[in-house]
Amino acid sequence: MSGSAGAAVFTVADASFAYPAHAPCLDGVSFAVGRGERLALVGANGSGKSTLLHLLDGLYFPSSGSVSYLGRPLTEAALEAAPFGPRFRADVGFLFQNSDAQLFCPTVEDELAFGPLQMGWRQDDVERRIADTLALLEIGRLRARAPASLSAGEQKRVALASLLVLAPSVLLLDEPTGGLDPRSQSLLLEILDGLHGRGITLIAATHDLTLLPHIADRVLVLSEEHRLVADGTPGNVLADTSLLLAVNLIHAHAHRHGQLVHTHPHQHVVAHEHAHGDPAGHGHGDPRGGGEPEP
Amino acid sequence: MTPLPEWLRPGFAPGAVKPRGRRGSLRPLRRGLATLEAVLGTLVSAGPDDRRDGFLRNADPRAKLLAGVALIVVATLLHGVAALGASLALALALAAAGRVRAVRIAAALGASLALTTLVMAPATLDVVTPGTPVLTLARPGGGSLGPFRLPATVAVTGAGLAVAARMILRTSACVTLALVLAATSRPQELLAGLRALGVPQAFVMVLTMTERYLAVLLRAAQELHLARLARTIGGIGFRREEAWAAAGIGAVFRRTRTLADNVTLAMIARGFTGEVRLLRPPRWRRREWLLVAAAALAAAALLAADRGLA
Repeated sequence: MSGSAGAAVFTVADASFAYPAHAPCLDGVSFAVGRGERLALVGANGSGKSTLLHLLDGLYFPSSGSVSYLGRPLTEAALEAAPFGPRFRADVGFLFQNSDAQLFCPTVEDELAFGPLQMGWRQDDVERRIADTLALLEIGRLRARAPASLSAGEQKRVALASLLVLAPSVLLLDEPTGGLDPRSQSLLLEILDGLHGRGITLIAATHDLTLLPHIADRVLVLSEEHRLVADGTPGNVLADTSLLLAVNLIHAHAHRHGQLVHTHPHQHVVAHEHAHGDPAGHGHGDPRGGGEPEP
Repeated sequence: MTPLPEWLRPGFAPGAVKPRGRRGSLRPLRRGLATLEAVLGTLVSAGPDDRRDGFLRNADPRAKLLAGVALIVVATLLHGVAALGASLALALALAAAGRVRAVRIAAALGASLALTTLVMAPATLDVVTPGTPVLTLARPGGGSLGPFRLPATVAVTGAGLAVAARMILRTSACVTLALVLAATSRPQELLAGLRALGVPQAFVMVLTMTERYLAVLLRAAQELHLARLARTIGGIGFRREEAWAAAGIGAVFRRTRTLADNVTLAMIARGFTGEVRLLRPPRWRRREWLLVAAAALAAAALLAADRGLA
């Protein structure tokens, strides 16, 4: 799909959204995403991250405000019209949080063929794309397997393959590493890194702060009031403890070290590593952790 | 930090209330659910064994559907036991030609036989189907029980056995023919075949989703049941059991709806237009004409023989 270099891929302008008969789950959100960016949407559970991804993929439409793709508003009418609708669907891939919902075909091969066949592409082209994508993600051995019989990590790779076969220029990822073991997480992050290297725009929703340095160059923070409250680099966002506490991404936590109990905000795994062997708790690396005698 | 309530601390002894004894084991129910999931998984989601080849496996699903549906319709129209037996024999021959695994045929026929026998058992008795007694089961001796008059005897009749045999043969033939279709075609091929034969899109979509998610929903029901079992000590009484079952059905329904919504969104996100499309669409050749013609001939012969024998 054409678009001028450097132009915004997505433009979200004052978008709000509420499910029918529910309280709003996005409130006046505005931002733009440039081509080739790696963007993370972070926020606590229920802050509206997944809903925002659904809006970006034209699966839901804002109650007020607008979402545009390459300058064209995403509306039901626009997405039903050719050639914009089919081209948008090929151009923007959505990796769902629940692979069981995303993988609905009887075999992995059928799963990969689904999107291209819906696009009406030629059979030989579809077969070549399937073979190349299976090889790229090293899942050729799964070709004839039923998606339901695969492990969570394999399912995630098949789900990603079913998007890559359409050669998208944007990937929307909803909790991409959720439910994966460390090895599968690491493999997926490597793949995403490689895709970004090929110029694909990545937009990931997550509440896992440890992921941010690996999947994003820019982070948008959603509050529990469903508003966009920060926009910065992963380093800036992770360093802003008061912001992370306010949006419920970290929490004040009490620790017992021998006879001492002290509290400090827990940020992520790295900050969590401290010397539990030290009975006085002096090995603690967090300067904010004030020691208090146990009541 | 909020201190732990007293009752949550180690060593706290709760007030002594004797748990009610369990009335009957729930193991059969649990096993039943697991078996149901396994059987449905085998029958519905297993699909064809692609390593097995054969004439029926390579035929266009539209031809198989036409032939299969014609033979199933005829099986429902037959009356004579001999004609119905011939229909079942033809179905089994087709299953053998289609190289359907014997285990799969046995599972399908066993389930069908058990269900049909259960349903048809009362029809074999003289109180439902009068006729010559073959086996006397009880002698209530006439008289009355409240407003009801009791029969002198309760016996299995020859006519009742014939009715039951006809129904068992008919369902067995239909189930075997349906199994041949399912076992020699991939689900998507059959669904695409149905669309090509003019079946409405909405109906085919419902079938598509049912085929894919029946096993998932059964697993959800089993998980709910196990979660409830893990928190049940002793029997909970029939009324509460009923309430739990109703709540469980509601919970599965909610999950179904959420899953269906998510699947629909995932399909739309990949450009779904409402049509089932195949990577390798089948072709209608001379052998497909031959298959349909042979099925039509067999159907006509069965009908003619049935009328003649009757």
